This record gives sequence, structure tokens and C-alpha cells, in this order.
Amino acid sequence: MSVLISKEKKVKNKEFHPNILCFCCNWCSYAGADLAGVSRFQYPSTIRIVRVMCSGRVDPSFILEAFKDGIDGVIVTGCHIGDCHYLKGNEFARDRFERFQKTLKLFNLDKRFRLEWVSASEGKRFAEIITEFTNQIKELGPLRLI
Amino acid sequence: MNFIVEIERSKKAKLEADEFNSYLRKIYEPDLTSLLKKCYQCARCSGVCQISKVQKFTPSRIIQMILEGFEDEIIDSQVLWDCLMCNSCLQHCPKDINFADIVRIARYKMRLKDIQNLDRSIAHKGIYPLMSELMIQKNIKIERPLDWIPKDCKISEQGNILYYVGCLPFFNYEFQDSNSIAESTLKIICQLEKDPVVILKDEICCGHDLYWGQAKFEVFIELAKKNISIFEKAGITSIITACAECYRTFKIDYLNLFEDFNKKFEVKHIIEYIFDKWKQGKVQFKNPNESNDVIPFTYHDPCRLSRFLPKDNKIIEEVREIFKHLKTIGYDFKEMEHNKENSYCCGVNSWMNCNEKSKALRYKRLLEAKAVGTKMITSCPKCRMHLKCLKKDYEDFSSIEILDFSEFLVDLIKIIEPNQTVEEK
Repeated sequence: MSVLISKEKKVKNKEFHPNILCFCCNWCSYAGADLAGVSRFQYPSTIRIVRVMCSGRVDPSFILEAFKDGIDGVIVTGCHIGDCHYLKGNEFARDRFERFQKTLKLFNLDKRFRLEWVSASEGKRFAEIITEFTNQIKELGPLRLI
Repeated sequence: MNFIVEIERSKKAKLEADEFNSYLRKIYEPDLTSLLKKCYQCARCSGVCQISKVQKFTPSRIIQMILEGFEDEIIDSQVLWDCLMCNSCLQHCPKDINFADIVRIARYKMRLKDIQNLDRSIAHKGIYPLMSELMIQKNIKIERPLDWIPKDCKISEQGNILYYVGCLPFFNYEFQDSNSIAESTLKIICQLEKDPVVILKDEICCGHDLYWGQAKFEVFIELAKKNISIFEKAGITSIITACAECYRTFKIDYLNLFEDFNKKFEVKHIIEYIFDKWKQGKVQFKNPNESNDVIPFTYHDPCRLSRFLPKDNKIIEEVREIFKHLKTIGYDFKEMEHNKENSYCCGVNSWMNCNEKSKALRYKRLLEAKAVGTKMITSCPKCRMHLKCLKKDYEDFSSIEILDFSEFLVDLIKIIEPNQTVEEK
């Protein structure tokens, strides 16, 4: 994961460029991100996308590991509730991350993590979410764990 | 100019590495053969090994292979990740070879090899060891919620007596009722102490799991250093804990790193603490519900409080003395078939290897408990968690209630005020 970290961060005297990890589900959010790219909606180049088959695949330990390896913010996106390709995967993800938010709060990391639902047709929404989240992370500042 | 800065930096890095190595040398021995030379292959360890009852695992064979120069084969075969670290073998070894300690050292060697896939064997996808690793970071500030504290308890941030909660709030993510152990323990301590008890908001992990399970000694050393500085900052002289693993780590493993740890801080388990107060006459036991039914109950010895302590420890006997006394108030203590040092393991240790094989061990343990009582007491939060987890899956165990030691005693304890004792005399 440390390979993902952009070189911009190492350049001194430059504006803070956060590294954000984005988990996208294969069926909705990844297509949504694709649509955002095809329709040329502008969003910051801060995210690195990891495609997973379903948002239910993402384990909380992935998120802690990402923070440990120098990521400043993590965002998990999936299909809207009820639209999951695997019927219930995103419901599992929702329940799991609701519980996990409390654990992240113990580490003061809860503001650096977000769970969002993006469908395949919402390219604009995807761009908006990323812009908003990047601004939020920029306000919080770098995490500097490595 | 740049050159000078670089030299300075490399000097600093070298100093830090030297300091780390001096600590590492105390808990790590690169030459395994020298630790094993005494072995004369009586193979008792293989006979009593608990994991060998459900899968192929023979400590004596592993020892002999290392002695004959096949150490690399053992390390490459990854077989040592399967060890339960229950220390049954040390109990029966005529030569006192500490096999668990050798596995711990070998695991460190195994982890340094790239081909080893450690994630395969860590339970819960390794989230709990990761949390411990995050705690050593300087930029992470731990903020524990204090909403579990009962209202009538006085707590402070500075003081003499610390209640070391351990990782219980962190387990809340998957195990909902883990806070009740902390709550009942604090209730007992608060009733007995006049001064407010210290609860640290930024308390960190003791490092037990990383020391035994994942063999991340670098993190363990950092955690130990940070823990000591936190304790010293709060002015603590005695530590009370309800966790068997924290107790063992503070009592013995920190002592290997820092010789003066036990001089600075007095570590007590809640069993020891209640026993002392009981012998001093400050505590009595009473039954809150006035019925004449006799409730049979049993006690599961966690390995950290029986086999992992030096042989002169008294905790095993002390807890039984308290339990036998409870017969006067309608609680009948019964021993399971395997008890004290020979007790069965709960099957999982330091978040390693939670699978169908360890479930078989837990199933056996609960069968023994079911045969003798309706309540099963243990003094290790993790044993309680693992056994409760299995209990959910099987309906035949619905009659057993699994409780922590302090959860069991919190309703039975009656505090005697100092004035009262004077009057009685």
C-alpha cells in the first residue's frame, strides 16, 4: 500500500496534498467513478481507487492498515441500500461500519473515514463527494503516521 | 551543509537502533539450539499438548529437528503458527524447557522471512493487533469513552491506585457486553478505596498479543516504554487489573525489559486484591436474594493465571479459598474434570488461529462445565469471550452462564465500614 503514496507529499513548501484511499464496489460505485471520468466532471486527484466486488468485502482492518501505511483518509463507496448486486452486501457493510465508527473514535480517526452510497448513474455525485471529502481532510491536516 | 545534516541524522538513527537492540537482546535469543540442549526426548510434551488432540502437532519432534540442524525446515514449514501457547508442556517437562518461549522466539524469526503468510492465522482479520500497533504512533491520541463508569464512583487522573482497564472498550466493536467487566470491577474497587481510583483516558495496550502471538517485539518494546512513561506521569504506585493477560505481562514480561518495574509499581490481579481485603476483614460475602436454592458453579483457570506464572504463585489457591467460603451463602463450588494447572485451554491465544480445531477444544471445555454446574466463572476476559461465542452456536449449552470473576462477585460483596469492625470487637 505504501507504493500508492504519491511523490508530491515529499516535495517541501507545497500545499498539503492528501492521500485518500477509495474502495469502490464493482457494480455501482466503480461505474459511477467511470462515468465521472467519461463525462469529465472535475475532482481532485487525491484519491486512489481500489476496486472490490462488493462494499461488504471491505473489512475494518483494511482501513486501519491504510492509516498505518500513511493514508490520510479512507472512503468506502457502495450501491444504494436495496440495490446491491449480492442482495445484502451493502447492508452488512453499513452495520459493520456503524459499529466501527465508535472504535475509530477511540483513535480520533472518525473524521477521516466515510461511508457513502453512489450508484452507476451518479457520476456527478461521486465527483462532489470526493471534492468535499478532500476539503475535509485538508482542513484536518496530514496524519503523518509514517 | 546538507552533508553535515545527513551525518547527524545517521548518527541519531544508529543510537536509536542501539537502544532498541539492547532491549531486544533481553527478550530474544537468536540461537535456539542452546535453549533446547537439555531435552532428552521423553515426549511428555507431545502427550499433553492440547492442540495435538485435534490436529497433528508434536513439540518433541520439533525440538529434535531443531537440535539436529533442521531449524530452517521448521521455520519454513510455518508449523509453529499453530501452537496454542497454553504452556501445558512446561508443566510436565522434567527439564523445564519453556516451549512457549521458544515458539515466541521462532515466530519472530518466521515473521522476518518474506514467504510467511501471517494473516492466514490471525483471527478477525488481524484488526486487534493492528489497533495495538496504531497505539504507539505519536500522532494518534487515544480518547477512551468514560460513559461506562458507575455514577457513584469517584475517579481522577492523578493518584496512587490505577485500575488498568485493558483493551475492553476496543472489543466493543464485535463483543457488545465487554464493558460490564470493567464496570463491575470498578464498582468493587471504588467501594473498598477511600481515595478516588485513577482511570486513564489515554491508556494504551500492554502489548501481550504482539509479544506472544504475532511476535512484533519492536512494537512491544515501544508500548512498554510508553506505558511506563504514562504511569509515571500520573504518579501511580499500584496497578489493579481484571485481565489475566495484562497481569502476566506486567508481572513477568515487563520485568525482563525493565528490571525496576516491580519496584516502581505494585501489580495486583482483582482476585489477589479481594483476597487480601477479605483476609484483612474488610469484605464479607452475602446473598442478595434470600432463597435457599444451592447454585452449583465452577471455575475455568485461564492459562495466564495458572501455568504461565511461576510455580510459587498463590492465585490458584486463593480463588478456590474464596469460592469454598461461598458455600455458606448458597453457592456450591465444584471442580471440573481438568482443573488448576491441568485445565483445558479455551482454544485461542493472542488472536491466533480461531478455527474449527480450536472450536473443538472449546466444545470439550463447555461439556466439562455443563457436567458440574450452571455457572462458569473465569478471570480472563478473552476466555469469557471465546467461550460465550461458542455458547451462542450450540443450544445444549444454554443452561450455562459464563461470567467474569468480578461480574460474579459484584453482587455478593458486602463492605464492612471501619467503624463497624471496631464495634464488633
